[in-house]
Amino acid sequence: MHDLISNLAMGFGVALSLQNIGLCFIGCVLGTAIGVLPGIGPLPTVAMLLPFTFALDPTGALIMLAGVFYGAQYGGSTTAILARLPGETSSVVTCLDGYAMALKGQAGTALAIAAIGSVVAGMATTLLIAAAGPPLADVALLFQSADYVSVMLLGLVSAVVMAHGSVLKALLMILFGLLLGTVGTDVASGDYRLTMGLDMLADGLGFVPISMGLFGLAEIMVNLESMAGRTAIAKKVGSLWPSRAVLWQAFPAMVRGTVIGAAFGILPGGGPTIAAFSAYSVEKKVARDPSRFGQGAVEGVAAPEAANNAATQSCFIPMLCLGIPPNALMALMVGAMMVHGIQPGPSIITKQPELFWGMIASMAVGNVILVILNLPLIGIWVKLLQVPYAFLFPAIIVFCAVGTYTVDSSTGDVVLMAIFGVLGYVFRKLDCEPAPLMLGLVLGPLLEENFRRAMVLSDGDAMVFLHRPISLAFLVAAALLLAAVLLPSIRRGRQEAFRE
Amino acid sequence: MHRRSILALSAAALATPRLARAAGFPDGPITLIVAWPAGGGSDVSMRLVAEALSRRLSVPVLVENRPGAAGTIGHRAIATARPDGQTIGMFSQDAITAQYGNANAPALSEFEPLGFFGEEPGSLQVHPGTGITTLADYIARAKAAPGKLRNGGNPAPGASFLYMAYYERRLDIHVTKVAYAGYAPTVTALLSGEIDSASVPVPDVIEHHNAGRLRLLAVSGTDRHFMAPDVPTFRELGHDVVIGGWRSIAAPVGIPPDRLAVLRDSLLAVFKDSDFQARARHAGFAVTPGDHTRTAAAWAESDTSIYPIMDELGLVKARRKQGT
Repeated sequence: MHDLISNLAMGFGVALSLQNIGLCFIGCVLGTAIGVLPGIGPLPTVAMLLPFTFALDPTGALIMLAGVFYGAQYGGSTTAILARLPGETSSVVTCLDGYAMALKGQAGTALAIAAIGSVVAGMATTLLIAAAGPPLADVALLFQSADYVSVMLLGLVSAVVMAHGSVLKALLMILFGLLLGTVGTDVASGDYRLTMGLDMLADGLGFVPISMGLFGLAEIMVNLESMAGRTAIAKKVGSLWPSRAVLWQAFPAMVRGTVIGAAFGILPGGGPTIAAFSAYSVEKKVARDPSRFGQGAVEGVAAPEAANNAATQSCFIPMLCLGIPPNALMALMVGAMMVHGIQPGPSIITKQPELFWGMIASMAVGNVILVILNLPLIGIWVKLLQVPYAFLFPAIIVFCAVGTYTVDSSTGDVVLMAIFGVLGYVFRKLDCEPAPLMLGLVLGPLLEENFRRAMVLSDGDAMVFLHRPISLAFLVAAALLLAAVLLPSIRRGRQEAFRE
Repeated sequence: MHRRSILALSAAALATPRLARAAGFPDGPITLIVAWPAGGGSDVSMRLVAEALSRRLSVPVLVENRPGAAGTIGHRAIATARPDGQTIGMFSQDAITAQYGNANAPALSEFEPLGFFGEEPGSLQVHPGTGITTLADYIARAKAAPGKLRNGGNPAPGASFLYMAYYERRLDIHVTKVAYAGYAPTVTALLSGEIDSASVPVPDVIEHHNAGRLRLLAVSGTDRHFMAPDVPTFRELGHDVVIGGWRSIAAPVGIPPDRLAVLRDSLLAVFKDSDFQARARHAGFAVTPGDHTRTAAAWAESDTSIYPIMDELGLVKARRKQGT
């Protein structure tokens, strides 16, 4: 305990230097901005910023780059709530209830709850990294391929539970997502599958163009259709400040979201997107009245927003403590460290304590900066609502196109986005939810890769999934969840609940 | 920094571009295409090159990441760029393997060699739980139970897959090759003990080797790796196994000779610059500067050594060579 306090004190000493506060501020402002803009994610931003950090000291450089990453999670929820357009992929689930709240005239409350959820999670996770980071890092090493298979199965099953409406439609959407996920390079043999000779498909269908199309473009099309009557973006914002009752309702969800987010961030391949999806389905499970979800349930905003922020920060744990990047953005951070001559690995904590603790302390500083930055700015985002659609819709489409293009500098991805925009419109007409499809698309390739690896490692013995305790636990959980959905009596109750 | 060295530096910065400059070239920013995502070893090394080259030529040099299809998208962007010298790119041995695996990949003849950055030898490392402490142990274990040892690496025909395939051929052993999507997940799997060994390059494992979480057995370079001076080469241990990756700079064919000369001279000067070498070494890269002839030689050498391995493993799906 004494060590922790003295270490944190040293960290704050580093993070509170004028230069590092300034860098943290720049990172947070940039992060919020790219978070608000749909499609432009933290990954290309950090890549573009990398050369500018050559001149900085490594601690300052990493503090700024980290600010971009978690700042983006704050900004990403804004467009999700106001326009049903996820600014970041991790804000996809926030669209469901956040936008519903906005339609009900509670946009202000939803934005405030998202910001409060983010800061609660941010602060809690900062403390967690400081206290438990070094020992927690080793948890990632307990997971092997077979365990990942079971975790992902659980994720897919929970997507069925999460969807509203028909179970069959949700299942079909997941299967469609899994099918789309088979496009690309076979991880074991290196063969190209279903790529139609196009190199742009060799690494699979991109997550960004598809989510932009299914969520962003489709939403605009639906709105254009009903231009005369319904409004796309709720004009009435309502109070920015949530009532005590709403806060009371949201707080437990924030805590659960934080725990789930922190756990998913540590696992390799995890990260904010899957964390947000899981937090949402857990909320729906524990809610007394699940039918409120999708209709503007405040927990449906609080939990995923807390989860994506917690995951964003906790994925620094394996990166800083083990030198293992759990996702692409952390890999970029490792690259940034290598430029500065720091070899990522377990020795960072002992060899570079001012970097390790300085970065952790900077996260606390950054969360405070983001609240100062975001709460007054909510008023400005709200102003977005008054922009006429004639300007707003074309602007959103341009942002989507630019954002999609910048990920891989690929025009093909923009075409892909357009195709999935039309498809998303068809899905909306058929009452099929796109969220399970996205989860299938994300988890499908990982599921296949890990499954095939697990089978190679076990010499083809499928019992390996039952023999490993971690895997077995997740499989049992998935089976229970599936039974709960499929049992006739429960299913009837569920459908009645959704009919309202 | 002392005032005098600042003066000397700026004098050098002013003088070199004039010497190296052909009529009106470069007349704008130079794009350096990297066929791999930002943050990896290729990206980091090329960003160092871009910075130094930019200072030498006094124009911005922009790194453009064009990842995808095992490098094919980026390599083709280099090969099909307008041959005016304003677009160059990184060319590694992956471009050599890609031309045989993917009919869409550009052929070796579509590139003009510019300069040689350096080599990164392959290496073999094991999980300490295996009880293997030397290369001899490893070979003995693999021979005692063929296919029982599990080695992690890239999916075929990625670099670390080819290293292991080459080790198997030269050491006359057989292991089960397990595919991971990159070096980071491979190292994670090795640390967790899911696999027994891996064949990723030294910089990706050196910290874990020093911390005792895994053990480097041997390096397949001609010399020991500067980051792991305690680890012997395969040759020192009596096995003639030399394989590894390298990084060079290439351009599309058809660049006017005067511009080509500017690019080649400037790159060689950058690579030979001791300040640049120190920075690269700091980041984990050993720079072994070479001109365009050295580059062409490295390309040809890899082409002849890699093709038979790919052919034997059934990985040649395009541009089959005659008489093999």
